[in-house]
Amino acid sequence: MIQIAEKSDAASAGAKESDRIVRVRVLRQDAPGQESYWERHAVPYEPTMNVISILQRIAAMAQSQDGRHVAPVAWDCNCLEEVCGSCTMLVNGRTRMACTALVDKLLEENPEEIELKPMSKFPVVRDLVVDRQRVFRALERVKAWVPVDGSYDHGSGPRISPDEQEEAYPLSTCMSCGCCLEACPQYTKSEVVQRDDESAEDFDKRRKAAFDRGFIGAHAISQAMLFNSHPTGKMIADERLKAITSQGGIQMCGNAQNCVAVCPKHIPLTRSIARAGRAATVWAIKKLFDR
Amino acid sequence: MAVAAVSPKSILPLACGFDFIAARCSFSRLAAVLCSRHVAVDRIDPSTITRLFVSESESNPSFVTRNQFLIYRLFSLSGLVPVGAFLVVHLLTNASVLAGPGAFQSRVDLIHSLGPLLVPIEWVFIFLPMLFHATVGFAIIAGGLPNVGSYPYAGNVRYTLQRATGMIVFAFIIWHLIQLHWMGAALGGGQFDPHHASSSAAVALQPAIVGILYAVGIVSAVFHLSNGLWTLGITWGLWTSPAAMRRASWVSIVVGVLLGGVGLGALVGMRNVNVEDAKVIEDRMEGVKRMLEGQPAAGSPAAGVRAAPQPISNPSPAASTTGVSTTGI
Amino acid sequence: MAQPRVLVIGGGLAGLSATMRLAELGIHVDLVSLVPVKRSHSVCAQGGINSVNALTRQEGDSEWKHFDDTVYGGDFLQHQPPVKEMTDWGPRIIDLMDRLGVPFNRTPEGYRDQRRFGGTLYKRTSFAGSTTGQQLLYALDEQVRRFEVDGKVKKWEFWDFLQPVLDESGRCRGAVCQDLVTMQFRAFPADAVILATGGCGLVYGRSTMSMVCTGSAISRAYQSGAWYGNGEFIQVHPTAIPGADKLRLMSESARGEGGRVWVPRTPHDPRDPRDIPEAERSYFLEERYPKYGNLVPRDIATREIFDICTTDGLSVEKDQLCVYLDLTHLSREMLDRKLGGILEIYEKFQGVDPRVVPMKIFPAVHYSMGGLWVDYQKSGAGGLEPGSPRNQQTNIPSLYAIGECDYQYHGANRLGANSLLSCIFSGLFCAPGVVASANGGGKTAAEESSRLFDTAMRRQEERHEALLARRAGDENPYALHQELGTLMTRTATVVRRNEQLAAAYGEVCTLEDRWQRCALSDTGNWTNQNVVFTKALGDMFPIAKLILKGALQRDECRGAHYKPSTAMPGIAATEPGEQRREAEQWCDRFEMNTRRWLKSTIAKHGSDGHTQISYEDIDTSLLPPRPRLYGLVGGDVIEEVWKERQKKADAIHAQAITSGGLSP
Repeated sequence: MIQIAEKSDAASAGAKESDRIVRVRVLRQDAPGQESYWERHAVPYEPTMNVISILQRIAAMAQSQDGRHVAPVAWDCNCLEEVCGSCTMLVNGRTRMACTALVDKLLEENPEEIELKPMSKFPVVRDLVVDRQRVFRALERVKAWVPVDGSYDHGSGPRISPDEQEEAYPLSTCMSCGCCLEACPQYTKSEVVQRDDESAEDFDKRRKAAFDRGFIGAHAISQAMLFNSHPTGKMIADERLKAITSQGGIQMCGNAQNCVAVCPKHIPLTRSIARAGRAATVWAIKKLFDR
Repeated sequence: MAVAAVSPKSILPLACGFDFIAARCSFSRLAAVLCSRHVAVDRIDPSTITRLFVSESESNPSFVTRNQFLIYRLFSLSGLVPVGAFLVVHLLTNASVLAGPGAFQSRVDLIHSLGPLLVPIEWVFIFLPMLFHATVGFAIIAGGLPNVGSYPYAGNVRYTLQRATGMIVFAFIIWHLIQLHWMGAALGGGQFDPHHASSSAAVALQPAIVGILYAVGIVSAVFHLSNGLWTLGITWGLWTSPAAMRRASWVSIVVGVLLGGVGLGALVGMRNVNVEDAKVIEDRMEGVKRMLEGQPAAGSPAAGVRAAPQPISNPSPAASTTGVSTTGI
Repeated sequence: MAQPRVLVIGGGLAGLSATMRLAELGIHVDLVSLVPVKRSHSVCAQGGINSVNALTRQEGDSEWKHFDDTVYGGDFLQHQPPVKEMTDWGPRIIDLMDRLGVPFNRTPEGYRDQRRFGGTLYKRTSFAGSTTGQQLLYALDEQVRRFEVDGKVKKWEFWDFLQPVLDESGRCRGAVCQDLVTMQFRAFPADAVILATGGCGLVYGRSTMSMVCTGSAISRAYQSGAWYGNGEFIQVHPTAIPGADKLRLMSESARGEGGRVWVPRTPHDPRDPRDIPEAERSYFLEERYPKYGNLVPRDIATREIFDICTTDGLSVEKDQLCVYLDLTHLSREMLDRKLGGILEIYEKFQGVDPRVVPMKIFPAVHYSMGGLWVDYQKSGAGGLEPGSPRNQQTNIPSLYAIGECDYQYHGANRLGANSLLSCIFSGLFCAPGVVASANGGGKTAAEESSRLFDTAMRRQEERHEALLARRAGDENPYALHQELGTLMTRTATVVRRNEQLAAAYGEVCTLEDRWQRCALSDTGNWTNQNVVFTKALGDMFPIAKLILKGALQRDECRGAHYKPSTAMPGIAATEPGEQRREAEQWCDRFEMNTRRWLKSTIAKHGSDGHTQISYEDIDTSLLPPRPRLYGLVGGDVIEEVWKERQKKADAIHAQAITSGGLSP
């Protein structure tokens, strides 16, 4: 059932759809290091609306609920089909993709209003836009690639059984959206600020080092397992295991299993984590005896 | 204790409260090293963070940093062996009181027969591993940001409870040691008398509030162990598929329920001991022991000779008057 | 001499494959993208990627047949050498992507599985679940990340390409880009610039394309003097799910499995569709095409759905054009088994279960066949000369275009599952030529006088400042974009009429004037998405104009471009002699039309802001044009006549083919 606040004229029982208003509360922040603040918006209801279209309408109106002129809310999005991983934000307090957050469903949860906040585990750039560089840095750390000789023709790839493909495919749909990291109680924010006298390169280096001290996250562990199961990818399996058992590695997992619960692609992240745990156990013992 | 079988919602208030506690724990120094925790509090001056990391990035990584994986694995292992194993033995030993003060006394006597070896064994196999587990555990707790309010999933509730029970159990053990262990005598505790095991314990546990706190402590410890058993299986890669994890979670629930029964049974048993009757039995046993060791018996020498050989299989009428069942353990 | 550097704009399949190959060739690449490259629009491609393979070969397939299908499907509007080169490369590209770890679906024995797509008889399409594009992109993203770790590639994500920098001789020496976070400008000296910025669907307001597909980058190159080819050829997908924010693809397999398309006979019938009795429903496809029913070819389905809503006014809803695509008569078990994935997409975005309630669908703009005009160098074998700096180069020296933003591979209509191939191919293939161009002697771009870049930077800074300073405007850029989209969708998609196109061109000019009065609601200089969008909107108008003008001037029907006034109907007669006479006439007219219109449209941006159209002959040296008769009444008779005519010309063609060293 959908309940939507009506503009006025409460007497007319069957208020037209065009008169319905969706109330939205957005946590805004003008720039990094600035105070965040709530801003309320009222958007005319349309059927099959999602949070993206709400934000589009807010951008077009450029005024808050009380009629003040305000700059449009900034947010990230691209494909709007839940395959690009751009539009992650906290909708009604939970991390999810804004494009699949349907207004009708959200109003069922809370008929009063929809609440939008930026992800809390990444530095806010502006409003709902956050800096997720750390997500991609983690992929570098675990060498999430197949170490091919090059892009020249060497015939086809290795033969792979349908079972192996069916195991690998879901892991390969990870779009680096960051939902698993946002919901993970073990993953904490890392915000490093560039110093005035620091070059871009030095800053980048220092920031990456800071990222590397933090928890690598479910997505990267899962990618490590994906490539360690590929016939060519596993040729550097030890390097990946070394990466996921170094500082901030798999040991940081607290088994809350929120990652798998919030993953928009339903990737079996906890299975990857457990497998990584097993591989790390075997690898560590082997290393001990091979020393 | 089978928390997972209880509806997650029913324990939400507790878990949410824990959000509050954990988010404000000030272990940041320790945590930053051990847990790679960066920002746990909402607003920290960015320059503080920067400073914190510059100092680390410019120096060589510490021993703890380099061996984080090993330390966390030892932490996980220590929870099972020896700490978890000790808990099981301890609770089973205590539960023997259900078979009568004599049964319990004979088990205590067995432990104390180690004589001077008891202290180093206690420290090496119990206290030090426990301290290690607790130290790493606190660092882990300080490095996490429980969020069960936003994500009230069963796994997350268990995660949060694991940390909450860890802290409760730590506080409980400190108090428990002060209250009963001889080391606590200097602080006005040390009430447990190994020669009068049941009676001294029964006296110490008699106040209602003490009983309640013990129940909380035991239940927390049992939950912590049985849930820890489940996460340990994931950490070490024993169960990897969601189905296997579900099966393992049932096993851990069964273990928890059984162990919880043992623990609470021990508590009830201790509190229900008839102190006077127990003292009689304990004194009698003490007399026999001394006699066997060739020492003059203290107390009533005549009484012990008949009763001592079969304190378990021949429960004294005094024990049965306590109304405690003597079967089952 | 400094090391040459190449600037790649866009990190989709084309941009990443070019980057990967360039880095491998030892060139330092700067990769600029509006979004993190892993989030590029290529992820949206679902179906698969075409190539001849061991299996189809044994059924008689060959690279030549793939080439034939592509050219025939594109209605012969492509230069044939690049297409031939691409289809020749197909097997190698699939092998490469396989080696890079793309989880292609497998046969029980562990080989890559293939399926059949439209426009061919062979199972050429390799696929990875229902997210082939995503999987291919990720594989390339991973390789580029590897080069990034090695320091050979530097990514500039969340950066906007503003203009190419040209020297006095007109050669491209780099580009000016803007950081979308800090809003700072930066000049990138580069010895070659490769545009790989995809399509321009946002010119149509809502389309199946991603939010970055504004066409602004190609428009900026176009406004700097690059030519634009075949702009009027825009592919429309017949079935998409209308959404408030965008249109999402609904696979044709829904119709393939028995889905029925209908509208209520009463316009905007307010009743629940399930309560509308059969007699009051119009199954218009089944009624008009009894033979094909709901499985009429893509373009016909598109036109009919479009027509019934616009011309007949029978759209299901009043505010939104759509028809019902009904699966509710099919068993739930069968639907879950065969269509589970796509039905979930519908449910996810519409919040309605299509197994219970008929889906609402409407055609949507899907792909731009046209794009920047690019050159090629033909090889003796009829394909392309590897390593030639001319391959994929625009008319501006050292400025290259690859992927969806070039015009070269799909002619008048793109075959399903060919776009992924063309993107990866053009990226990989152009790299050696780009290196040759970058090493082309003289001073490197880095040694170029800074004045060149300063001037360009200043120009962009001024444009930016002027936009931010514009306070007194009464126009809203978002509303204006919506108007543009509605106008373009109405006039320049499925059915095109000259009077509408001409009027629309005027209206776009008016909109462009009104854009000058756009007031920004955000005048700050930090992550100002408002100004970025407004700029992109301003750059959509030149593209809209070239689409309209190209369509207006092209008085024929070809591929995706359909003008009812120039349509060539099939044969009406029933008597054999009369039929034959009509077929002869039809063929005469076809040949005449080919002579007149088998030409690429070349649009140039005039100094007055208007589009100047010229035409370029097409290299049809490998495959002579022939009529597309699919579904045409009397097609068999026409084909017979056509074949006889062809026989006469056969000698010449055979000569051409053998001299090209090809197997016919």
